[in-house]
Amino acid sequence: MRRTGSSGRVAVLVGLALLASAPAWAAGLEFYQTVNREEVGSEDTFLLTIVTVDAPPDAKVKPPSSDDFEVLNSSRSSQRSVSWSGGGPANIQDITKYVLVMRANRAGRLTIPPAEMTAGGRTYRTDSVQLSVKTGRMGPPAGQAQGGRQQQRLPDPFANFPSRLPDPFTEESEDEPTIPRGDSDLFLRASLDRDSVVVGEQVTLSLYIYSRVDLNSVDAVTMPKLEGFWTEEVESPTQLSGEQKVVDGVPYRAYLLRRRAIFPVKAGTLSISPAEADITTGFLFAGHRVHRVSNGLKVKVAPLPPGAPPGMSNANVGSWRLSMDVSQTQVELGQPVTVKVILEGVGNVKNVTPPKLTGPSALKIYDPTTSDKVSPQRNRVQGRRVVEYLVMPQRTGTFTLPALEFPFFDVRKGGYEVARTDPVTLTVEQGAGGPTPTPTSPTHVADAANEQKNVLTTGGLRPVRYQARFVAPAEAPWKRGFFVPVAMAPLGLLFGVALFGGLRGRLATRTQGDQGKQQAKAARKRLAEAEKLQAGGDVGAFYGEVEKALHGFLGARLGGPVSGLTREVIAERMTAASVAPERRAQVLYVLEACDFGRYGGGGDAAARQKVMDAAAAAMEGWA
Amino acid sequence: MSGYYTPEEAQDVFLKANEAYAREDYAAAQEGYEKLLSRGHGGPDVLYNLGTTQLAKGDLGRAVLALEQAKKQGGRAPDLEANLAVARARQVDKVVGAAADEEFLPRVTAATDGSLVAWTFLASWVGALLLLLAWRLSRPGRRTAVGLLSAVLLLVALPSGVLLAAHAYVEQTVHEAVVLAPTLVARELPQPGARSIFEVHAGLKVRLLEETGRFVRIRLPNGLEGWTEREGVSEI
Repeated sequence: MRRTGSSGRVAVLVGLALLASAPAWAAGLEFYQTVNREEVGSEDTFLLTIVTVDAPPDAKVKPPSSDDFEVLNSSRSSQRSVSWSGGGPANIQDITKYVLVMRANRAGRLTIPPAEMTAGGRTYRTDSVQLSVKTGRMGPPAGQAQGGRQQQRLPDPFANFPSRLPDPFTEESEDEPTIPRGDSDLFLRASLDRDSVVVGEQVTLSLYIYSRVDLNSVDAVTMPKLEGFWTEEVESPTQLSGEQKVVDGVPYRAYLLRRRAIFPVKAGTLSISPAEADITTGFLFAGHRVHRVSNGLKVKVAPLPPGAPPGMSNANVGSWRLSMDVSQTQVELGQPVTVKVILEGVGNVKNVTPPKLTGPSALKIYDPTTSDKVSPQRNRVQGRRVVEYLVMPQRTGTFTLPALEFPFFDVRKGGYEVARTDPVTLTVEQGAGGPTPTPTSPTHVADAANEQKNVLTTGGLRPVRYQARFVAPAEAPWKRGFFVPVAMAPLGLLFGVALFGGLRGRLATRTQGDQGKQQAKAARKRLAEAEKLQAGGDVGAFYGEVEKALHGFLGARLGGPVSGLTREVIAERMTAASVAPERRAQVLYVLEACDFGRYGGGGDAAARQKVMDAAAAAMEGWA
Repeated sequence: MSGYYTPEEAQDVFLKANEAYAREDYAAAQEGYEKLLSRGHGGPDVLYNLGTTQLAKGDLGRAVLALEQAKKQGGRAPDLEANLAVARARQVDKVVGAAADEEFLPRVTAATDGSLVAWTFLASWVGALLLLLAWRLSRPGRRTAVGLLSAVLLLVALPSGVLLAAHAYVEQTVHEAVVLAPTLVARELPQPGARSIFEVHAGLKVRLLEETGRFVRIRLPNGLEGWTEREGVSEI
């Protein structure tokens, strides 16, 4: 017989004492109680085992009772052992065990009171057991880490393989439920398969009823408010189907009510409020309705790591494969082409957006239709999203639907990946009918108009220029330094020429005066020469010289030669030159006298002197 | 033309950028055109291609800027107008109550080539005056022909001079710009915390009125005005 703890040793002593005072049938009587741990948490359960050995058949055992503890479950088992030793008679023992699943109601150093056994009018008591209770949970006792669960697992033979891929045979672990105080027979339990994820990663929320009583029906279920999550139903049983589960050593029937995949859409610690359910227990008229509230939950959501491709949505989390399915790549003008952009994989299928199909303007792409096929496996949401486009070629030629890309965060690899498709080339040809024959009637014309045409429309970007005339950046011409001077230069030149002309005119006028003076001076000189001829015998030469002198003088004073002019003309020019009448008369007298002297004999010396004086007088004082 | 590249090298860079555009490698195409511009081998053709590339790339602000610069340097062209129309169609902003026509002088200067006007004026003006000089100096028999030619040149010089003055005035007083920032807040005062009057978006053409600190006062075609950050706009 295995006894644990010091309490067991005390119990042996008690048993021996009882043996000493017992009747003959009670010679081998033993009665003691033990606990499976001496230190527990207030949320932990522990086992109290009460053992009787060779107790009389009418013995009645009363388990210990205390307000400090609650009994969650109790069971009784009996066994008979037979042993031989030293060739003597066989030793037969009847052993009865009472196993109580208990939980402390408070923390502290608590005492489990003695158990009592009544037999043959006598009362036997075990020793009390001391227990140290701490607040909260301490987990299962050492060496029994999985003792609370019946689902013990075999060791994984592939545990040491360096693969990070998830084991498809691994059940998603759910945390150990805590039996609530007061409602330990029937309680509602919400649980998550994980409580720490990244944005967009799936968490599975399960809602169970744990019951040790018979259930009739679940009348109403109010699921938690899932703010900050995108939810997807994974499992929603229509009939209650329980499975055996042991919670802290207490057997329960666990009924799944709902299972949902929830995808956090933002980072932070997100709360999940408690679920509620109205449950009817018992059968027929004996049943009664109870209301149960589950536990609340929290999920720690980390943001996606840095380095995300630009424009990537937070919903693009999981493991995805992108493909493009084209109904035909060689098509006649006017025939539609169906292009399916298929995104499939594990993740939030209904919240991912496959990349948009684009194409050249020659291909008219109509608005797509989207269809989803979600097929959760082992509680993981997966499936495919298909976006179907209708593409209508508008022109003949060869056109390319460009490659598509879908960036996503791969949770398994812990990094960003990009799912890609290859570009697709479409060849659009003229219809099989070839060129339309010349229409011969209005009906034919209408038919021809309705046929598909090679539509050549404007719109879209004009192409780049294939040739360039390179121009260095330059200032505007009028801002360059030479511009204004060059524009002003002719003006300056004109002004200069005009100025020069004026000066030259003035200069020329002045020279003409001087010429006149010189001519007058020459005339006077010639008159002086004539005076020398006055006494000579050549009268004609004298008068000729006087006339020349006077003509020279008149030419100088009247601004032009007067030789050859008649006296009337000379008189007019003098009048025009505003010569005084006396001077005019003197000039005309001298000219007339010269003519007379040269051709009429010349007169005497006095007459010549008179002509000489008249000529000198005419010149004298004429500026 | 002297510069960083020989004409052959510049043409090679240009063709490679065109090839990059054709295979939709817009980043490489843009890099090629910008390289040409920064090395002094620009011009309306390079600017047009740069604007078209940026438009294909989706950078509306810089696309409009390059296309407007191409228009300013090389005048109107059908492909340029078509791509500018595409850019305008993609703009977020719709200026309501905009004047039907642009102001007269900017419209006139936009329709004429400033350099051509300047050279025309200079040639006709100088020629007319020189002929006038020749007329004065020439003999009476030749004066009529010289005088007539001088008068004709003066008739060309006078309107081209007026047009040149308009160009000089517009260049000095009218400063147009394009919004580059995706969203630009126009405020009541040139202060970061001043009340917001309206917002403009990339690609909108505005007029710059004055500048103070890091703020510039802009006017929309419909007369709406506000102060906005200088970095958000770029002068054409």
